[in-house]
Amino acid sequence: MSTPGETAGETVESAREMLPDNSFLIQYPHVSRVVRSLFLTAFVAFGIGAFMGVLQALHRTGIARIVESADYYTFLTLHGVLLAIVFTIFFLAGVFTWANTRSLDRPPVSKRFTWFWVVTMSAGTAMAGIAMLAGLLPSIDISADVLFTFYAPLQAHPIFYIGLAVFVIGTWLAGIDWFRQFLAWRREHPDERIPLQSFMVLTTMIMWFIATLGVAVEVVVFLIPWSLGIMPAPNPLLTRTLFWFFGHPIVYFWLMPAYLLWYTVLPKIAGGRLFSDPLARVVFVLFLLLSTPVGIHHQYLDPGIAEGFKFIAMTNTMFLLLPSLLTAFTVVASIEHGARQRGGTGYFGWLKALPWRDPAFTGMALAGLMFAAGGFSGMVNAGMNINYLVHNTLWVPGHFHLTVGTAVALSFMAGAYWLVPRITGRKLYSRPIGLFQVVLWFVGMVFMSAAMHRGGLAGIPRRTAEPQYPQVAFETVAGSVGSLRLQLAFGGVLLFVSALLFLMNVGLTAMNNKPARGLDSALPPALSGPEQSPTVLDNLKLWALIAVVLVILAYSLPLYSIVQGAGLYPAGQEASPAVIAPLLEVIA
Amino acid sequence: MHVHNYEKLWLGASLLLIVGFISTIVYGAAGAGITMVNDEGGQVNPKELGNTSGFDDPGVTKVGPNEYEVHIVALQFAFQPGTVELPANSTVTFYVTSRDVVHGFEVAGTNANTMVIPGEVSQITVEFDEPGEYGIVCHEYCGAGHHSMAAELIVREPSNFTMQDDTQTPTSGNETTNATATPTGGESA
Amino acid sequence: MTATEAEAEADSAVVGDDVYTDGTLVRDPDIEESLSQDEYDPKGTLALLLVYFLILALMWTYMYFVEFLGNGATVVG
Ligand code: HEM
Ligand SMILES: [Cu+2]
Ligand SMILES: [Cu+2]
Repeated sequence: MSTPGETAGETVESAREMLPDNSFLIQYPHVSRVVRSLFLTAFVAFGIGAFMGVLQALHRTGIARIVESADYYTFLTLHGVLLAIVFTIFFLAGVFTWANTRSLDRPPVSKRFTWFWVVTMSAGTAMAGIAMLAGLLPSIDISADVLFTFYAPLQAHPIFYIGLAVFVIGTWLAGIDWFRQFLAWRREHPDERIPLQSFMVLTTMIMWFIATLGVAVEVVVFLIPWSLGIMPAPNPLLTRTLFWFFGHPIVYFWLMPAYLLWYTVLPKIAGGRLFSDPLARVVFVLFLLLSTPVGIHHQYLDPGIAEGFKFIAMTNTMFLLLPSLLTAFTVVASIEHGARQRGGTGYFGWLKALPWRDPAFTGMALAGLMFAAGGFSGMVNAGMNINYLVHNTLWVPGHFHLTVGTAVALSFMAGAYWLVPRITGRKLYSRPIGLFQVVLWFVGMVFMSAAMHRGGLAGIPRRTAEPQYPQVAFETVAGSVGSLRLQLAFGGVLLFVSALLFLMNVGLTAMNNKPARGLDSALPPALSGPEQSPTVLDNLKLWALIAVVLVILAYSLPLYSIVQGAGLYPAGQEASPAVIAPLLEVIA
Repeated sequence: MHVHNYEKLWLGASLLLIVGFISTIVYGAAGAGITMVNDEGGQVNPKELGNTSGFDDPGVTKVGPNEYEVHIVALQFAFQPGTVELPANSTVTFYVTSRDVVHGFEVAGTNANTMVIPGEVSQITVEFDEPGEYGIVCHEYCGAGHHSMAAELIVREPSNFTMQDDTQTPTSGNETTNATATPTGGESA
Repeated sequence: MTATEAEAEADSAVVGDDVYTDGTLVRDPDIEESLSQDEYDPKGTLALLLVYFLILALMWTYMYFVEFLGNGATVVG
């Protein structure tokens, strides 16, 4: 691929001088390096995770069985952890580091501190990764086949739990880094509104600090001492509840960097301006307040929790739809603004005036469209009693491959096409391949996810290597189970090809010797700017306090009654598999 | 705060949607009588199920004219009993608990579905109106043999139904799987 | 230069300097017609979202009353 007006001798180095002074790479070469290294980890995890994904899609449909069924769950654990935790959160850290620096217009306070959290997160990931991979080698007595939703009595090797704890501490340090950066800015700008991207970073991190308390208590207080054999097995229902205290808000932790891209980058790419800065702030505040006091909606079908608590979680969850529905309006209106500035007309005709040839635009637009569909299946999941229909069936992975698997992952890929040139100074290797790749992801996901949703309605469970049981005949509403299997596997293969194309395109961009052009880092101002909103929106302490109060209200009674019921360490609970012989017995 | 009129309209529509969803669910609970599994089942010691009334001899018990109780023990990787027979037009209360790890209990193709957590008893009452054969699957990952954990539920024409006598029904599930893990349930302890 | 790029560069309605991620599409800033807050009503957005609203309402009704309540045995106690 060559572009006109480019001489052969033009190298990235000589071209750097040609980049505009306000391009991110020129202003913050060191931060760019941090972002590059975070993205590298994210993309490696994405590649391995996608490979596991296609193995699963082929295996559980019986189309190609490369691995043993008993090993399926090791692959599934790797898939869940690498994609839903490592890929998403490393990419988030990269985007947030970029966005906070760009919008505050100053680098993080200390380079060493920044590298310290990068290393901490990576070390934690490596430990958990070793534990999971060792599960494939029977000769090593280490395994972590507990899936990315880990609760007692299924047990992983302690190094898995310790690795996760180290990883989470790394994310906390990252949050502290971004807050320090903000406070340094605040000292110089005491009366200004918080720049929007930074506002998004900070509210998301407050939510994360609150949310991770649940998993921190689960892992540090219960799972690590138990897996080391120091303490007895904890109350399984308690560990589930602590996990889901964190397990729902993590969903918004995945989503917020995608929202950040949709609110701030997408309008620019579409040639428009953000429709409403005030509502963007309201949306992030609502997520901070409502993300955590809803986790019990993952336990609608758990015994030992009174129906009233489930009902409260359900109403909170339904109101949590509000910020996403508002986002739909603001983001689409910002894109429409671009289309109209570019001559688009009519009620629907403006859609033609959008830059559909741009993979960054098309990727994010298709991600948003899938999110609209995923939003619907999420509404069904959230609907308490209708959860009987879909709980733990294939419907559920069908749902979240639309949300985290596409709304988030595809936005990240599209965002990478836009960001990677900005943090490397190198020209995107191929725009047409990028465009093809994002469309392919969309098509693949239509197949895989639709088949999963329908399979779920037929009662096919999720997380199983052999969804054929001698005792069970699954009946679909329309079409045969066999054709659903084919569609699922076909979609999975398309997705895998798309993932490979993405990694290749980004990898070749990172090595591209052609310089990127036009990397102005400014984002257009919002149509309705922050001055049109009350300053109380920027009062982060107030929102943090209300969020904590809501969490206490939502969780204290359920936790109290769970502990009242079976206690912290109920009699008769036993680890499976018992990885380490209980220390106390060894001593005795 | 400045909000465009169209966006106010959308805000109203969104709230309407949310209230609509909540109302449907309330209708399902109050009108259609759907109850969530809750804390009524109480707690048990998973290692003492053999001495716990009901779970010491899992299976079907008749408790009223058209009322039955079914006690089911879930374990790696089977349900006890492996076959449940019931008459149609009956009201059945399932008491399900686990001897080892967390399992799931789903009567495929129906809304009878619950988590099974060691130490807790899942109590769900279901009405079976029509005869039919159903599969029961474990839908919560429970270890390397999870995919072989299933059982049968046969709802018979009332005229064809006779209570099984009280002998222990054999364990279900494909005990000979390619799974490598062995049960770590009660006996091995 | 590929055909799509040639077409794209002939596209006169584009605005901004670095609209395509790889910078291949250079837009002419003169063509930008700037729409201010007062001049712009997102009627297309409203139309799209009202369609979405209808789809949600219909699909919800279908899922709840047909798929769910029509799905045989249900937990009633
Ligand atoms: C190549 C693309 C992908 C393919 C083919 C794929 C395929 C699958 C399949 C078939 C399952 C279901 C396994 C089962 O329940 O038995 C699954 C589960 C899952 N996938 Fe993906 N997936 C892909 C990409 C992604 C992405 C991008 C994400 C998130 C960022 C993701 C997150 C998950 C999660 C969290 C699970 C659940 C794991 C669990 O049940 O513990 N997947 N995937
Ligand atoms: Cu959730
Ligand atoms: Cu299972």
